[in-house]
Order: sequence, then structure tokens, then C-alpha cells
Amino acid sequence: MALAATLPPFEPGQDPVALFEAHRARLRRDKLFVNLMLAGAFVVMLLWSIDVSRFWPDRLATGFPRIFEYFGSVMPQLSWELLFEGRNAEGRFPPGSIGFWYNDFWKYLRLIWETILMAITATLLATGLAVVLSLLAARNVTPHPAIGAAARRFLEFCRGVPEILFALTFVFAVGIGPLAGVLAIFIHATGALGKLFSEVVENASMRPVDGITAVGGTWAQRMRYGIIPQVLPNFTSYALWRFEINVRASAVVGFVGAGGIGQELNHVISFYSDDRVSAVLLLVVLTVTIIDLVSERLRHSLIGKESLK
Amino acid sequence: MTTLAFSAITEADVAQVRQSHPGAFGSPLIRALKIGSWAVMIGYLLYSLHLFEFYKLLDSSERAWRLISRMFWWQDMGGWAYAQIYTGIAQTIAMAFLGTLLGTIFALGLAFLAARNTMPIGIIRHAVRRMLDVFRGIDGVVWGLVFVRAVGLGPLAGVLAIWVSDMGNLAKLYSEAIENIDRKQVEGVRATGADEARVIRYGYLPQILPVFLSLSLYSFESSTRSATILGLVGAGGVGMIIIERFRAGLFDQVAFVVLNILVVIAVIDFLSGKIRKRFIGERGH
Repeated sequence: MALAATLPPFEPGQDPVALFEAHRARLRRDKLFVNLMLAGAFVVMLLWSIDVSRFWPDRLATGFPRIFEYFGSVMPQLSWELLFEGRNAEGRFPPGSIGFWYNDFWKYLRLIWETILMAITATLLATGLAVVLSLLAARNVTPHPAIGAAARRFLEFCRGVPEILFALTFVFAVGIGPLAGVLAIFIHATGALGKLFSEVVENASMRPVDGITAVGGTWAQRMRYGIIPQVLPNFTSYALWRFEINVRASAVVGFVGAGGIGQELNHVISFYSDDRVSAVLLLVVLTVTIIDLVSERLRHSLIGKESLK
Repeated sequence: MTTLAFSAITEADVAQVRQSHPGAFGSPLIRALKIGSWAVMIGYLLYSLHLFEFYKLLDSSERAWRLISRMFWWQDMGGWAYAQIYTGIAQTIAMAFLGTLLGTIFALGLAFLAARNTMPIGIIRHAVRRMLDVFRGIDGVVWGLVFVRAVGLGPLAGVLAIWVSDMGNLAKLYSEAIENIDRKQVEGVRATGADEARVIRYGYLPQILPVFLSLSLYSFESSTRSATILGLVGAGGVGMIIIERFRAGLFDQVAFVVLNILVVIAVIDFLSGKIRKRFIGERGH
């Protein structure tokens, strides 16, 4: 902002207090002006947003009760006496038991397992590629500035496009199934991890690199023995953090046919509005929460609590 | 001081040093563990790529080629519905803005209920935290689909989806910020005899407001990204245009729309960086 940050030069005969007060008043006036401008821009933006997204009170008034209606209809109808009831004579669970609610439990579990495997594979692939790309992209160790710029643009593209769009594309190219999801998450995660990794590399100490240069090490050797040992804990912790995000992502890419629990979730939400919806949603939330907790523990044991911000 | 030439070192010397300093040569156990974990990782990768039918990637070259060539070879640009595309993008930004704003407002209240130092009653704190876990654990797209089922197609469902997922994310981050504040400032204000309102105004707020603002700005950026894809499930915005064009095989228009979105997000990044710098200064939080 164009604020006059420094006091005007002091000339003999002036009252220094008056000079200071005048300067302070001007600074305050400038600040008030900019703040008012920002507040005005905010109000304009708000009104425009309400208009463009048709977020009008009458629509809200009709919409809101239906949200609660919907959530009421997807909740399971459990009854306490029947909760742990087994299959009856016809081989079905009685309505009101957990068995009835989770009739397709093993199918869901298989899909969740597939989802987790997709996330692990995509994270491993992305970490491998991101390590190489980040070393090429980091400004302090890049083999050539042009290669560095190209690598940075490539990473920007990879993380700029949402994974579900990549998934859509890959489903068209390689067909419906988990492969499309793995590839989509792989590309997006490479972009995100590559940026984080290259920032870590840029903050690494250059002294070990200089030492290896002095004994005649090649670029690969400088990276392997000079940079990698310094950045490995941070890399691992970022990769684990990305794994948590990838689990969520791989639960969603199925919406466009790219495998995992998302496909079932999409199907259940689109075609039924009964307890099946809450059954699948609850499983997804549980999976994501458990993986978050485990990976957070691992991360904190790798590096101190404060480092990952 | 004597300099030892490489050629002067004999096998016997090495063996002697190995004997006296076993730690300097690395333990065979660690080496075996390293090799073992690499083997497990590569084995897992090969197995899972086989499981996911990796060969399909090599089979599909013809379809992939058609897709990629259409993305780069733009046809009949005069006939594209630009007004529709840019209305979609505007709607996306509006959805993200409203959703983030509502999420921020609600997260402010929830964060104080979820922070350890402002909410001493454990049951309420844990109940609020578990609720936030549910909001965060379900992805925005899933919320979008749920709200489309509840309130119908259109941007209202998108705003609600962003609202709910932002509320979960922001409330967690806010409550961490509240827990991390410096007690000294609060106690300093209290020591001057300030009442509770002044303690909050001069002790808490100056510490948490910049962090809150910065988190909300980040959240606006990421909501713009997620608002783009909410349209894929019918929750309004430019995603609806993308999936429509994609289904019709107009990949050149898809590429054009995605490029536009990338530019818009870069502009939002830039502007929010400016705002953040103005209110928080260079150092961040």
C-alpha cells in the first residue's frame, strides 16, 4: 500500500511534536481510507455473490426444511430390542437391527480397502516423481534455470487442475476402474508434493552440497549425499500428510467412475434416500478419521510438533 | 602432521578400524531393514499396479490420443457459448465467496466451543469436535451431492456444501489458533484491571484475528477450486459446463474452460496474498 512510511525530513525551527502528530494523522487517514475501500469492495462482492448464486431468502426458506427432512430420512431406524438380532428364518435381518442397516457391509469393506490401496499406490508414485521434480525445480540446486522454470510450470499445472477432472479424463482414456483414479490422484499429488518438497530443498543448507562439489561429485551425487539426508524427514512427513488427503480424494474420484468407495457412494446417494446413505457415509468418515489419527501420530514422531504448519 | 595416501591403506588397516569402530561402518541389521523396506515397497507397487490393471494404460493409446489432440486443437471458436462459460465461472466464484463467508461466521462460534482454554466443559468440547470431524471427513463433493438431493440442482446446493465443509475445516484450525495463543498478553491486560470484555478485545482478539483472516483467505482460495468441481454433481457453477462439454466430446472447450479457471484462481491467489500482506505483514503466522 502506498502509505508514507517515513517521517518527512526535520527542518530547524519546526516543532517536532507537531510534525510527528501531523504525520501520524496522515498515516491514520490513509489507513482508514484503504480500510473503507476494502469494506466497500467486500459489501459489493457480497451483494453480487448473493445475486449470482441466487441465494435468496425465499429459496432458503423452502430449501432449509428439506435439508433436515432429507437427513431425517437417511438416518437408520434402529430399535434397541432388535439391535443385535441375527438373521431370521428366511435368512434376512429384521428391520431395526445393525445387520439390516449394514446388509452390504462386506461389499462396502472391500470397496474401502480398494480406496485405501488406491491412495497408497498414488502416494508412493507421486512421492517418487515429486522428489525428482522438486530437485529439478528448486532454485538453489536446479541443474539449469530453464529446466527449473519448466519443472515449476509443470508442477503448477499438475496441482492447479482438480484431481476429479484428471479422473474424468482418465476414465475416458483407460476406461472405468480404479486405474483412472490412481493416475488422477498421482498427477495431482505430484504437483502438490513437488511444490512443498522444492520449498524444503530451497531451505536446505548448501554446505554439504558445496563439500561434495569440492570432491568432484556429479549432480546426482550432490543431491543424494548433500540434499536428501537433510530433507528426508520433512519429505516423509509431507508424504504422509498427502496420504491423508489422497484417502479423501480416492473416496471421491469414484463419482466419475474411477473406482473405490466413491462409485458406491454416488450410486447410493443418487438412487436411494434411506439408511444406506448414512451407512456408507459413516464408514467413509470412520476410515478417514482413523487414517488421519494414525498418520498424525507417525508424523509427529518423525518431526517435532511445530514443524508442519 | 602426516598425510595418509589412499594407496597406503591396506586391507589389514581397514579390518582393524572395522574392529575398533564398528559403528562407523553401519550395522548390517539396519542395512537389511533398508533393503527389506525398499523390496516391500517395490513389491507392493508392482502388486497394486497389477491389481489396478496397469496394462490398460498402454492399450488405450488411440482413445487417449484422440482426447489429447482435441484438447490442443481448438475448433470453431466463434461458436462457443462464451456468455454461458463466463456466467458459470462467475457463479463458481460467488458460491465460493458466500460459502466461505458463512463457514467463517459459524466456525467463529464453534471454534470457541472446541478450544480447550475457552471451553472447560469436556463433554461439550468433545461433542463439538466430533461434529466437526464429520463435517471435515466427508468431502465437499459428497456434501454437494447430498445437498443436491435435499434442495435440488443449482448453486444453492453448492453454497451449502462449501459452507459445511469450510465450517468443519475452519473451526478446527481456528480452535487450534485459540489454543496456541500467548497467555502473557491476556494476563498483562487483566493485570491492568481490565474487565472481561476488554480482556477479550485487547488480550485475545489482536492475537487471533490476523490468523483467522489469513486462514479464511486460504479457505476462499481452496473453496474456489472445490466450487469448480461441485458442478460435476449438479451443484451449480462452471463444473456443470465442464461435464456437459465433456460428455458431448467437446474436449477443446473443456481445455479452454479449465485454462480460464486456472487463470481466475491465480488472480484470486494474488489478490488474497495482497490482502494478507496488508493485514498481517510479511511474516505470516
